[in-house]
Amino acid sequence: MEELIRTLAHKIVALLNLQEIPAAQIDPDEPLVGGRLGIDSIDVLEMVMMLERDYGLIIDNKTLGAEVFATLRALAGYIARNAPEAVQ
Amino acid sequence: MSAGSAPIAGVGMISALGADAADTLWALRAGTCRLNPLTLFCPGNQAPLPVGEVFLSPAPPEAPPRTHRLALEAARQAMAGQVAPPDAVVMGTTTGGMAVTETLLMAGESHPTAFARHALATVAEDLARRFGCRGPVLTVSTACSSGAAAIRLGLEMIRRGLARRVLAGGVDALCRLTYCGFRSLQLLDPAGARPLDAGRRGMSLAEAAAVLLLDADSPPTAVAVRGGGLSCDAFHPVRPHPRGDGALAAMQTALADAGVDPAGVDYLNLHGTGTTDNDRAEALAVRRLFGPRLPALSSIKGAMGHSLAAAGAFEAATAALCVAHGLLPANAGLTQPDPELALRPLRAPSSARVDTVLSNSFGFGGNNATLVIGRGQGAALSAGCRSPLRIGGLAAVTGAGGTERTLDRLRRRISCRGRIGDAVLCAGLAPDRIRRLGRLARLALALAEALGRPGPGSAPDGIFFATGMGALSETWNFLDGLFASGERLASPTDFIGAVHNGPAGQLALHCGATGPNITVSGGAASLAQALMAADLFTAEGATALVVAADEYHAALTPRIDPALAADPLHPDGGAALWLHRRPAAGDPVVRLLALACAPDGVDSVRVLADRLSGGRRYDLILGASPQGAGPLARLARCLGHDGEVVDGGALVGGYGAAPAVVAVLAADLVRRRRPLLPVTRPCEAVLVVETGAHPWALEVVVG
Repeated sequence: MEELIRTLAHKIVALLNLQEIPAAQIDPDEPLVGGRLGIDSIDVLEMVMMLERDYGLIIDNKTLGAEVFATLRALAGYIARNAPEAVQ
Repeated sequence: MSAGSAPIAGVGMISALGADAADTLWALRAGTCRLNPLTLFCPGNQAPLPVGEVFLSPAPPEAPPRTHRLALEAARQAMAGQVAPPDAVVMGTTTGGMAVTETLLMAGESHPTAFARHALATVAEDLARRFGCRGPVLTVSTACSSGAAAIRLGLEMIRRGLARRVLAGGVDALCRLTYCGFRSLQLLDPAGARPLDAGRRGMSLAEAAAVLLLDADSPPTAVAVRGGGLSCDAFHPVRPHPRGDGALAAMQTALADAGVDPAGVDYLNLHGTGTTDNDRAEALAVRRLFGPRLPALSSIKGAMGHSLAAAGAFEAATAALCVAHGLLPANAGLTQPDPELALRPLRAPSSARVDTVLSNSFGFGGNNATLVIGRGQGAALSAGCRSPLRIGGLAAVTGAGGTERTLDRLRRRISCRGRIGDAVLCAGLAPDRIRRLGRLARLALALAEALGRPGPGSAPDGIFFATGMGALSETWNFLDGLFASGERLASPTDFIGAVHNGPAGQLALHCGATGPNITVSGGAASLAQALMAADLFTAEGATALVVAADEYHAALTPRIDPALAADPLHPDGGAALWLHRRPAAGDPVVRLLALACAPDGVDSVRVLADRLSGGRRYDLILGASPQGAGPLARLARCLGHDGEVVDGGALVGGYGAAPAVVAVLAADLVRRRRPLLPVTRPCEAVLVVETGAHPWALEVVVG
């Protein structure tokens, strides 16, 4: 799980071009959206695309999205549960 | 007190609702919904969403793109029975030849001939050629308010005496870019658009064209465009202001412009896309404007979908039908009105006397346009002379670097052609502010940053952005990613950035500018179009920011702009002018003297010379884009010019925004009364000219 969290942190920093935030400094339990990272609703949709591209997972409603993208740990947990083969 | 109406002498419209105005009227009276699953293409083999698709007869592969065909059909209807050509053509579009470009890129095509109608401007240019227009041809791209903004421009051109007859409208065809783009933003309702409904989940995409012939010499009894209002949210790249501030400002400005009170509105045609955010913000703005006395209101986008740049023009044409035929259209798709919106949308079409319609169109970039359509009071010219536009500040960014480096070279006639370095592009801009922005938007912001705030007051009253080809990096990245994933995956960030008016929206955010925000496009005539728009919409005492920018893209530029790609230096760049209409001794005056259309086979130098004859003497004539010594020398001879002639464009490059850099050079020479080195004579009056198919000229003279 910890490895998946680190992988996701690097992916997100690259995907969203978060130049000033080192991936290692993202706390797995801090809010991903609307917090100090500056991630907003457009970024969430960009992450939705990444999730489909890299893990074959489709997020198409806001309630689920809010849950999945709450924190890095929540995101990693969702991927581990729903696409275990992709994580391997 | 109305500022003057523009009578509507002809209406053309084509959409899923019908092939012309009569068909459309019938469909609206019947309350039909014409949303059906997309058949034109099938991205990623996913279930097709409901759209408003137009049936067009099959065409050979070399036929013009759908956008052009739709526009021509609507314009043909608007011009039916007309003998005289229009004096001007103003068209709003966001897609241009995109549907064809997508197919070509998927097939690996790279020959530029196949991409000849990629550029947005080719839509209006085709119409100008077809109907013999010799005057200004403008292409407006303000996302989903484009069509309404184009008509607002046409109205002002008539008021200001720039034209008597204007063909104005909007068009967009369905294509993968917009369909997959809006889908990636999760803004498409899988069940079809249900504007104002409690269960609404988004819009339905559509294609359409609508064109009005505005004719100052029509009988005063004709239905007319009576006024309009433009505003910008300056809030977010795509989301509307949550309290509808910009929407409210557009409606208030439109009513004041038309001399109509809110109580005088018989029918309000809502933008009403069916997205959660739009309908909520618009409803709030409507309630703030009208209070408890709401007019009859509806959105027709549940019947035909959202046709993007066409929508504002289509709904203006619909408004004209409502007035002429006493129709109140239904809010199709509505089953359970959203109680939070507290509106009472028309559930079924009905007949009533309709004298005045307010029609809303809002778009990405926070671009808002509202039109007032109603029984006319005859055409009227806006009274009074205005003081000239003056240049209060300037900036340029080119391959040579920022403003000083660029001007230092140009003053000595040394080329600044080249690709802008990344450091220059991001100078002064915070990384988190630009992390999502591509090359063109960064360039626009770098220009605004370099310009600073030269005038008093914090924000310009209007922003006018000119681009020949738009945001190529995002366009390419979006399509490349889409095709690489078998048309399954689309980047929402790239989609938002690919919109032509994206940089103008960023400029508004940067400056906090909530006034008119207009993006125009048209090769080497882009700057002239922006200056014309700035002149029309800058009131006495007001300010305007004019920015022109174009980027070089290794994959797209060789396909869509082969002349530019032939330059081994791959130049890009742009310039910004801070304009004002205030008395300020020392600030040079800039005047657009001519913007014309030279028909095929007609000498554009001759056309321009005719428009400029009898003008003043100039110390220097500068060519605005690379056009060679021949045409410039001939023009100088025609004008009896005895000073020097320099092909400024050759020093800057062949990109669409290059003329703005040349104009900045002219302004710099005049404000300092400097000579172009080696010394000839100090410049107090410089003429900047473009001698292409859409020739234009502007002068910069001491203030």
